[in-house]
Amino acid sequence: MSGRRRELRRALAAAVAALPLAASAVEPPGGTVVSFVACPLYRDTDHGRKSGCWLADDPATGERYDVSQALAKPQLDREVLVEGVVAAQDHACGGIVLKPVRTSTLVTHCRGAMLPAEGYPGRAYVSPAQGPPTHGWEERDKPLPPPPYERRQITVQFHFGSDFLNYEYAEVLLETAARYARASGARTIRVTGYAATRPLWLSGHALSEPLTLARSRAEMVAEALRRLDVDPRRIVVSGRSIAANDAGTGPLAEASKRRVDISIEP
Amino acid sequence: MIGIAALAAGAALAVEYAADGADRWWAPAAGREFPAELRYANDAGTLTTLNTAAPVVTAGNAFFQPLGSNGRACITCHQPSDAMSLSVATIRRRWADTGGRDPLFAMVDGANCPNLPPEAAASHSLLLERGLFRIARPWPPRAADGSVIKPEFAIEVVRDPTGCNLDRQYGLRSSEPMVSVFRRPRPATNVKYLTAVGFVFEPKNGLPLPRDPESGERTSGNLMADSRARTLKAQALDALRTHLELHGNPTPAQLRQIIDFESSLYTAQSHDRWGGSLAALGAAGGPATLRDARAGDLQGTAAPIWKEFLPWQQLPAAAPGENLEQRAFRASVARGAELFTQRMFLIDDSAGITNMGFGNPVRNPCAFCHNMQRTGMDTAPGQVDLGTTNLPHANPSPELPLFKLTCDARHEHPHYGRVVYTQDPGLALTTGRCVDIGKITMQSMRGLAARAPYFSNGSARTLREIIDFYDRRYHMALTEQEKQDLTNLMSVL
Repeated sequence: MSGRRRELRRALAAAVAALPLAASAVEPPGGTVVSFVACPLYRDTDHGRKSGCWLADDPATGERYDVSQALAKPQLDREVLVEGVVAAQDHACGGIVLKPVRTSTLVTHCRGAMLPAEGYPGRAYVSPAQGPPTHGWEERDKPLPPPPYERRQITVQFHFGSDFLNYEYAEVLLETAARYARASGARTIRVTGYAATRPLWLSGHALSEPLTLARSRAEMVAEALRRLDVDPRRIVVSGRSIAANDAGTGPLAEASKRRVDISIEP
Repeated sequence: MIGIAALAAGAALAVEYAADGADRWWAPAAGREFPAELRYANDAGTLTTLNTAAPVVTAGNAFFQPLGSNGRACITCHQPSDAMSLSVATIRRRWADTGGRDPLFAMVDGANCPNLPPEAAASHSLLLERGLFRIARPWPPRAADGSVIKPEFAIEVVRDPTGCNLDRQYGLRSSEPMVSVFRRPRPATNVKYLTAVGFVFEPKNGLPLPRDPESGERTSGNLMADSRARTLKAQALDALRTHLELHGNPTPAQLRQIIDFESSLYTAQSHDRWGGSLAALGAAGGPATLRDARAGDLQGTAAPIWKEFLPWQQLPAAAPGENLEQRAFRASVARGAELFTQRMFLIDDSAGITNMGFGNPVRNPCAFCHNMQRTGMDTAPGQVDLGTTNLPHANPSPELPLFKLTCDARHEHPHYGRVVYTQDPGLALTTGRCVDIGKITMQSMRGLAARAPYFSNGSARTLREIIDFYDRRYHMALTEQEKQDLTNLMSVL
């Protein structure tokens, strides 16, 4: 082992030792945040389209959580990283409701269970509030944002281990960024991807993202901007690990670190 | 031919053909005139094609000319009687009429493999029995610019009943390695729907749809089963060079003629043998609706797909002497239209649906994926693994090849893992990606009654078998009445 690798390994071990082994519940302002890894459960409720319930049991506490309001839903045969805020209780699905909540499908297989409705109604599907994406026939006619143009940053968040641009979320941000870049005649559009390379210990799993993911996230965003007619010569792409002092933002601070920042500089 | 509806300045405005008429077949370079309206009888009723560029003099028109070296033209495999596709019934009739000597049976792809004896029906068994043409795809895949794509998986031939995939000249071990899969021809009509861009973003990969570098327009991705050509021009070139064995290039004018002609056609079933006119009592079946409407609209609660037939939910009180069979059929079609948007079931393990954030499984009706108004295509666009070609869901097909695809250490299929067995890798033969194995682009549901069999590999011989496949694949537990209603709906599209 080279000196550099030994040094990295010692630093990693120190960092891991500093983390609680089952740090699955934190109390920030605004509600209790829970994070854990579990095999998801699907409750087959019928309240119209997309109305089935997604549940997950926290191995550390045994509590059952309702994660149905996540943007990207789990897959029954894959473990899932749950990160959410305990919200006001309801009885739609039969679990403690997490909202906001993010569920990241992991590569590890598991055997999830299908539960009957057992009297739970589920929830009617509600489209996300960001507004519909542009239709093909209105793309060229949509007015561009007016001046003044100043430096603007738009952040696109990602699920753990993934560079997938999620439908009903990312397209609204990417369209906004592209249209602002085009309207302002931006000289530089910096697309910086981040990966959570420091291990996060949850439910007996050491979760860390490869550094290469930072770059591939940024490349996905840059490709989207190019396809939205942003001048490719002005796009600067980079990827890096999340800084140790990066505390994240919002109620799901840890999850918010897995992101791409688009900095538009007129 | 059984009738000419009207004549104007010597040109036929509407021409109607019988189900068994010899003149149903449009041969290349026959010099016929393509009128404003063509009607063809079929087992379910009548199919109508409208031609907005009528009349088209086919003599000299590139769509009808054998531009390549094997005597075929575009019209050979895109016949008006078969909704501009080609039914297996027509293929068999053509074999009987010509002793197998029609250019339709050209060895390049009209045989199970080009190295078989041309005169033997057995050499063409996949075409004669399932309506399948051989599609030879380069391996590894090539990008649109010809560059080699490094695939995420290795491909092995497990079963090779045609002998083509292991053949030293045509197979994977040849000097120009090819993968031979077998597919049905897609209808060359209602083209504005095939190329329509609904939403700018493609939800399945999260990226905006790519633009055609020539026109600057976005490309829908809905043209071909494996999306290997994204524009009408690219599709025409691909077809000319493979199916017609054109060596060299067509002229720009010839390409323009082909695109203009197919873009002028609108096709749908217009009359049913039980239900009568499909545009009666408030219904809006038939091709005129397709011609007049905007393409690419998404269906929804306020405007459900197949709303054209919902007026038959409330038929006026039966009149004395009314045809009760007709009345019952119309009511059944209306129930089928409602089932299409309202009958929920759990969709599972279907890459292109269940690996993009909706969850696996996800509860939805047919219209979740078949969501483009008036055609039932996917606005998204529609590359989905329904299980028609991937094991374990594909129907047993000893006559088709079977491939074993092994993903590399960094990739795997979202639902099947690192090893996938498939009769046709579909989109993955274009992208080289594991996630795309077995994805086949959904096609228009119009004119179905005229162009059996169904699915890209012809594995459903009848409309009822389509319903049975879905019922089995997704554990829908459809009642007999529901199956009949959905079958009737599909027969009038």
